Amino acid sequence: MSGVIDVSRRVPDRLTFLQKLYLPEILRGMWVTLRHLARNLANMKGLPTILYPEARRNYSKRFRGKHILKAREDGMLKCVACYMCQQACPAECITIVAGEHPKIAYEKYPVVFDIDMMRCVFCGFCVDACPKDAIWMTRNYEMAFFSREDAVFSIDRLRETKAEVEKYGYGYRPYYPGDGTTPPSDASMLPVLAGGGERDRLRAGAIPLPDRDAGPGPLNAPSQARKAFSA
Amino acid sequence: MTLVVDAGAALSPAAERVRERIGASPLAGRAEVADLDLPTIEIGPTDWPALARFLRDDPGCGYDLFLDLCGVDNLRRAGRKTRFEAVVHLHSLTRNEHVRVRVLLPDAEKLRLPTVCDVYPASNWFEREAYDLFGFDFPGHPNLHRLLCHDAFVGHPLRKDYAPGQRWFFAEEDLRMPEWSKDTDERAGHFETQTISIGPSHPATHGIIHLVARLDGEKIVRAETMIGYLHRCFEKMAEKHHWNQVIPYTDRLNYVSAMLNGVGYVRTVEAMLGVEVPERGRLARTILSEFTRIMDHCVCIGANLVDIGALTNFIYLYQNRENIYDLLEACCGARLTVSYVRVGGLAIDVPDDFVARCRALLDSIPGFLEDVEKLVTNNRIVRNRLSGTGIVTKEQAIAWGMTGPMLRASGVPYDVRRARPYDFYDRFDWDVPIAQDGDNFARYLVRLEEMRQSLKIIRQALDVFPASGPVNSDDWRVVLPPKDAVYHDMESLIYHFKLTMEGIRAPAGERYEWIEGGNGELGFYAVSDGRGGPYRLKVRPPCFPNMAAFEHIVVGGTVSDAIATLGTLNVIAGELDR
Repeated sequence: MSGVIDVSRRVPDRLTFLQKLYLPEILRGMWVTLRHLARNLANMKGLPTILYPEARRNYSKRFRGKHILKAREDGMLKCVACYMCQQACPAECITIVAGEHPKIAYEKYPVVFDIDMMRCVFCGFCVDACPKDAIWMTRNYEMAFFSREDAVFSIDRLRETKAEVEKYGYGYRPYYPGDGTTPPSDASMLPVLAGGGERDRLRAGAIPLPDRDAGPGPLNAPSQARKAFSA
Repeated sequence: MTLVVDAGAALSPAAERVRERIGASPLAGRAEVADLDLPTIEIGPTDWPALARFLRDDPGCGYDLFLDLCGVDNLRRAGRKTRFEAVVHLHSLTRNEHVRVRVLLPDAEKLRLPTVCDVYPASNWFEREAYDLFGFDFPGHPNLHRLLCHDAFVGHPLRKDYAPGQRWFFAEEDLRMPEWSKDTDERAGHFETQTISIGPSHPATHGIIHLVARLDGEKIVRAETMIGYLHRCFEKMAEKHHWNQVIPYTDRLNYVSAMLNGVGYVRTVEAMLGVEVPERGRLARTILSEFTRIMDHCVCIGANLVDIGALTNFIYLYQNRENIYDLLEACCGARLTVSYVRVGGLAIDVPDDFVARCRALLDSIPGFLEDVEKLVTNNRIVRNRLSGTGIVTKEQAIAWGMTGPMLRASGVPYDVRRARPYDFYDRFDWDVPIAQDGDNFARYLVRLEEMRQSLKIIRQALDVFPASGPVNSDDWRVVLPPKDAVYHDMESLIYHFKLTMEGIRAPAGERYEWIEGGNGELGFYAVSDGRGGPYRLKVRPPCFPNMAAFEHIVVGGTVSDAIATLGTLNVIAGELDR
């Protein structure tokens, strides 16, 4: 704690004769601005302005840009369509339709996962809300579109691609241990229920992955499996 | 009525003093005093003007600063005496105390509440806002028209039975122009006066603000400001969201100092919940808040100087802003709309190089400020434009409910960080800058010095900033559990799920918390009914009373003085219109 200072006593009420005479003051002002100019000319690389798009600003690893949906090792989305991000979104821009997957290993998966980028406020609440480490953000801030329909990104544009990550890099995500790329463990990378044999067959491509456009598949399969399990 | 404490119960000393004074006044028996977070006086509408006069004039009360008036609709809230109430917050500069007055409006067709514009001129726009959003009628009000909603709007949007999502089409012919602006004022032997519109979309207004001015030559003889062009129904939206989900919305209030809004808001919710934020989290908030204040003042001074023709300073000041944005972006991932705070702490811990980045900023900012000072402070043109224009005397500033740099430039050393130190402001060594003249130049000087004081605060905060430790409370009913626990531990997952799906359960009640925003006292009045989100959330935007006074300040000056004055008021449309 300290006191109160009166700043109006710091500057003289009246200007001096020299200050009133424009010219010396103009020269003094020019000295300040020319010094900046000289400093900038000497250090062109350190200029604060950036020649976008030739040069790009280097954002931090926490940058909140376009979202990506993370995939498991077998290419299936990690998302289990739990609706947590849809509920957490303050802008109400996420639309999820859940489907029941024929394979018990996946159980529930998003048939539709849309983000309306025109509504999105890029607050990162969806990343915080996800219990499955399924949605991250990238440093991609270049999302121009010509129509409102184009602004609604569906799974095919949200799914993580190597090209996008290589170009922009990961942004806001749930954890930053070490270099910020290693998750705490691989617990959420693979379905817990999947046994070793099934995992191997998945990797070998013996079990075809569901096609999003083909719909959720026959609904009775998981319940039959459950019945078999309880029996 | 559950909240009023019965007569036998012990009151806090502050509430007891208020009760004694009211008991000795002619209003004894007609007002009740409750002890909530603030001493709260309850009164009927007919006695309200008399109470207001008593509270202002009685030497023992001295509540001279009118802070806020807002409506509350109790339709879906159990145990209240009346459906509608008007809640007023007042501050006493002499005794450094807040008080709340709750005016209970009897259920009737017309919700009448006499105006107190003659007692507190600051209440003028707040009453118009309550008229607009709640349909309260204020007999005797000089200019009772809609303020935030447009003139073709039907209904009162903050009433609980108003369905959100309705749209009202607004055409140009619906625009209400002030009655006096419609005909010219022609007097014999005198030149004709003219009425002009400055704005709504004018480069000098830095936002969408409409000033209708009557000119006698170059001199403004009468003016009226019309706002609401950026009204995005923040308060109605807040009622539809969880406590944490409101945070991105607060970023868009005063978008020049987004961090400060977030801190002010979460402090209100934390006070309701009784959550303690660890020291590291609070210090990080303090440091970033002070950087944000510097940014706010940089924008204000820079834009103001551009308006009067000095462009270079703008660039120098904006360089600071860019550098501070880099720091904010490294912390939270966004530059402007930071959404960094959460109830109970921060979204994520500050980066490893936080202290080094802050120190680098501390080294770079003073140089730019020095350059600006060299170019501006003794510049004859700047002096001619700013000195002696837009004068607000001490008495006027208090009557118009001004706070922050506006009030301090008029000679009142009221700073919330000093008057009611929150976080660690009482531990730091810093000064409250004031000036005596109350003109535009005094406001420039105060802001410039405030930036230096903020740097001083940051330097001290960095010295005591813990190298490690939690930034968030470990109360998982409030803060999301760490992700590793959520992935592996069922209990954490349940907390995570409950918090995300249902929101934080704040206990039923109400709270007014205030901090020093970039423009002055930024208050949040939150009412909770025990569910996961606000039942009612009112912002006390510091630039709202400043803008309300604008139409009085500019009278007598020239149009170009009005532009210079608008700049030093630092009106941010996002906060003004909400």
